[in-house]
Amino acid sequence: MATQTLSRPQQDQTIDQKIQELRQLYADSPVGKTALENSIPALREKLAKGLRSNESAGRVGLRQGKVSELTLIFKFVPGGAKRLRALLQVMGANFGTEKVATVHDQRFVFLDNDTKLLFATAYDGDSWDTYLDEFATKIPDELDMLFSELEEFPGFRDPSVKDWIAKYQIPAENWYVAHPDLTVRDIRRLKRIGKAAEEFLDKIG
Amino acid sequence: MATQTLTTPKQKQTVEDKIQQLRQLYADAPEFAKTALENTLKDLASTAAQPRSRMESAGRTGVRQGTVSELTVIAPFAPGGAERLRALLQLRNGNFDDTDRVGTVHDMRFVFLDNDTKLLFATAYDGDWDIYIEDFVAKIPNEMDVLFSCFEGWPGIHNAKVKDFIANHQIPAEGWYVAHPDLTVRDVHRVKRVGKAAEEFLDKIG
Repeated sequence: MATQTLSRPQQDQTIDQKIQELRQLYADSPVGKTALENSIPALREKLAKGLRSNESAGRVGLRQGKVSELTLIFKFVPGGAKRLRALLQVMGANFGTEKVATVHDQRFVFLDNDTKLLFATAYDGDSWDTYLDEFATKIPDELDMLFSELEEFPGFRDPSVKDWIAKYQIPAENWYVAHPDLTVRDIRRLKRIGKAAEEFLDKIG
Repeated sequence: MATQTLTTPKQKQTVEDKIQQLRQLYADAPEFAKTALENTLKDLASTAAQPRSRMESAGRTGVRQGTVSELTVIAPFAPGGAERLRALLQLRNGNFDDTDRVGTVHDMRFVFLDNDTKLLFATAYDGDWDIYIEDFVAKIPNEMDVLFSCFEGWPGIHNAKVKDFIANHQIPAEGWYVAHPDLTVRDVHRVKRVGKAAEEFLDKIG
């Protein structure tokens, strides 16, 4: 337990203090106040277990286990929303994304009357830099096509592209993943094992 | 192939029409974007023809790919709401075993926008919109109220209007991609168990 820096009593004390602070903050929320009181026992229990945590994903963003989050909000260039919508309608949101094989999911959401784009993804790895490098190496054309609709986009082959992304990334305050122990490739492997096990059982059955 | 409503040549034509339309739209895009479009058109055409990349409705609002749906909500914080939620989330620090218990959430994030005046909540979940919300209401109502009472106008989880509140603030995605659209959260639990059992079996006979 090398990572456990607080002793159990110390930890409990910290949790008590924090719950007290929460009570004060929730005092002026009618719905929230009652709900907080009702959920405190469960909350205390889960905190004492301390099963999971949020860590840094590298330059920007949070990570839980092997899976990190990236959330970007950009401004569209004039006409950009129209073009990107047509592009997404033709091909869905798979831009050679499977080739990169580190993306669990990604969404494109148009905000404020088509003036802004929200791009949010769940990806593998503890390094923001490695993730972006892989994209830039494997599917630069696809990315250029996608992001050319956004203001100040320098192009994915330009070294300043990472600064551009970091500038528009908004780190999450909290990030949850159901299976933090599995990368996209891990799940693929498990699917293959499952299939092989079924075939094997069929044969001997 | 009962679900395949378009014959292949007809489908191909539709894809080609759409690509033609794309070229027109990209005529006023920057030069490098036009080049990028041309460079990727071949791949694009084959991707667009694959059924896996198609998005469907997740029910009342939002889109779904296979078994996995997306929900994206942006709503203003109530006065003091951002402060309360931040304190709660800092305490939780990624601990959401209540969400584990619901068992339909692949991932979720809380992002504070515009100087703590709005909250973006984005999640990937299994199945249909109505069933998903009802499941949360039934299993973890208190936790939902503690989290979402930070929103201006949150009616309370037991109020009949709670679904309308969520739907009114949800913005459906224009594009949605999932690496494993064939697996629910529970399916992944199952394949993990199978994988573990297979390893143990191989160890024993090895």
